[in-house]
Amino acid sequence: MTLVALQDVTKSVLLPDDSTLEILRGVTLEVSAGDHVSIVGRSGSGKSTLLNILGMLDAPTTGTVSFAGREVRRMRPGRLDRLRGDHVGFVFQQFNLLPGRTALDNVMMPLGHAKDRLFWQRRRIAADMLERVGLGHRVEQIADRLSGGEQQRVAIARALVRRPVLILADEPTGALDIDTGASVMALLDEVATETDAALVTITHDLHVAARARRHYRLDGGVLAPADPRRALQASTLQDDLPAGLALAGSVPAGEASADAVAVDAVERAS
Amino acid sequence: MSWLIGSLADAWAEIRVHKLRVLLSLIGIAVSVAALTAVVAVSELAMQSQTEEMDRYGGREATIGVTAIGENGPVDAAAFDERFTKVSERYGFSDVARIAEGLMIPVQAPDGLHDTSARLLDPAYARIHREKLLTGREFRADDAEALAPPVIVSEALWKVLGSVPMAQHPTLTLAGPAGGTYQIVGVRPRQGAWDDEKRIDVLFDSYASRVDRLPEDAQVRYDIWVGRKDVAAVGPALAMDLRAGLPAEQQVIINRTDWGANPGYLEGQRMVELLIGGVAALILGLGALSLINVQLVAMRQRVREIGVRRAFGATAGRIFTTVLLESLVATTVAGVIGIAIVVTALRMPMLTEWLFPALVDVPPFPMRAAITGLVAAVIVGAVAGFVPALVALRVKVIDAIRF
Repeated sequence: MTLVALQDVTKSVLLPDDSTLEILRGVTLEVSAGDHVSIVGRSGSGKSTLLNILGMLDAPTTGTVSFAGREVRRMRPGRLDRLRGDHVGFVFQQFNLLPGRTALDNVMMPLGHAKDRLFWQRRRIAADMLERVGLGHRVEQIADRLSGGEQQRVAIARALVRRPVLILADEPTGALDIDTGASVMALLDEVATETDAALVTITHDLHVAARARRHYRLDGGVLAPADPRRALQASTLQDDLPAGLALAGSVPAGEASADAVAVDAVERAS
Repeated sequence: MSWLIGSLADAWAEIRVHKLRVLLSLIGIAVSVAALTAVVAVSELAMQSQTEEMDRYGGREATIGVTAIGENGPVDAAAFDERFTKVSERYGFSDVARIAEGLMIPVQAPDGLHDTSARLLDPAYARIHREKLLTGREFRADDAEALAPPVIVSEALWKVLGSVPMAQHPTLTLAGPAGGTYQIVGVRPRQGAWDDEKRIDVLFDSYASRVDRLPEDAQVRYDIWVGRKDVAAVGPALAMDLRAGLPAEQQVIINRTDWGANPGYLEGQRMVELLIGGVAALILGLGALSLINVQLVAMRQRVREIGVRRAFGATAGRIFTTVLLESLVATTVAGVIGIAIVVTALRMPMLTEWLFPALVDVPPFPMRAAITGLVAAVIVGAVAGFVPALVALRVKVIDAIRF
């Protein structure tokens, strides 16, 4: 089932000199439940804008965005906020944890906007989620004082605590060293797979991108399928990647088994 | 329900996390609310004190004064007293006092006999006129039976007599038709620094039992405390009853003697209230202004946080409510603290005695002051929260996350 669908989406902004900057051009993308998509691109290529549109934080200039079959443009702001809170989880590059709050407070925050059981049992649910990301011993620690890796794990716990069907990660390892980034991504993958949530990752890091099943490159606002093998080869100067590593961005989610093999191959190679 | 509790929880968490900022910004509000409450409370106490001062002259609200005069001066006091007693029995007045003024009684002082200004009073006089003694006690009904009749002297006379404490049962010798030894039971305080007059108050019945008739120059008045509600009905009816069958050469003057009959006094009170209210509003306005400033600056620092909350499902309404509640909760807490400080201070007898030495009936802490302070704190919180909440409402999620 298609969770979020972008159809011919463009995004442009008016610059102070009255000229128009086109950030996204004719982007069409479908993300289904359990899907795992990576989008790579240079700085300023429009990756974050695309992620914000996917997460219903921003509206496209033209084109349509649908969530679970319903067109987002037709929804009232409050309804849209609630829909986002119920179904979408964000992981930001700079963690964006609430300053001065404990890890538990941060993870409880999304549950504070929920209803019924999720709201009334928010403390227990948040503590369980922190336990799940390996921070059960850091529950009452002020989030700002945790290490970068721990902070990102708190951010992941916060993104996942309402069991969203769509997780959007914007450079989730951008502020972390390689080893910590790898463990954070492994955790994100694992929890997303466990909850059957779709995971869309925006990254510069080809190794992070390679963990996805579908790969896209955003270049000059145009989204196109990507093949991380060649990029990896270029970046690592390794030309002995398995021949079976054919990562086509256009592979539909249903053909994930072949992709999984490819991902494994990429991981081995890297 | 969860929406409101969630907003309150967020607001409380924000206050808890930013304790120092909140504390610093709220010191101004707590002080403002305390100042407002204190101004209102002290002004009420001041008005009570002023009212009591007025009561000392004209009686409590509402006091009716009854005087009978003849063509050539005072009427026969005993005859009129009989008439008055008969009429007033029908009304069942609870507080009636006879007052005879204009008497001069020779008093034995250390340096000889001195004609001294005197009043004859019934025990109810002290209650009607809310008298406060420097020391000792007022007249009692059973004092009339005492072998040594009671006398209350002015502070100036008491000083001349050696300021003997009441515990030592000082006495005073009077000369004249009601002469004899009187026991000083109380001392009336000076009415001001200027008051050096030597006066005495003698129990009406004690004096009357020692003389055949009151002196010619004594003018008897009856003070009746009837209360504000009844005065309009009682006054004319009593006048009619007392005048019925009165000899042609006599007339009865009945009028309200208390301050309530004086519109100028009431207007003055309203003006004072208005003035004090204006000062209090100014104090509070300044406190609110500083709070709005602090809140607006704090809001600039919280743009990213608001963006993150919005990203995780907080509606604009929820953000607005949370920011508004932060301010409301904080100012209410500050207000309660400010009010508590003032209540504690004004309940200290030492302070009230120092501020209002003439106060007889110290009223309980005026609820109006506490309510005014609390309402003001809530209003300031709402106003000081509304502006930043509007700012928070206008935060664009995208910009906020990038902030």
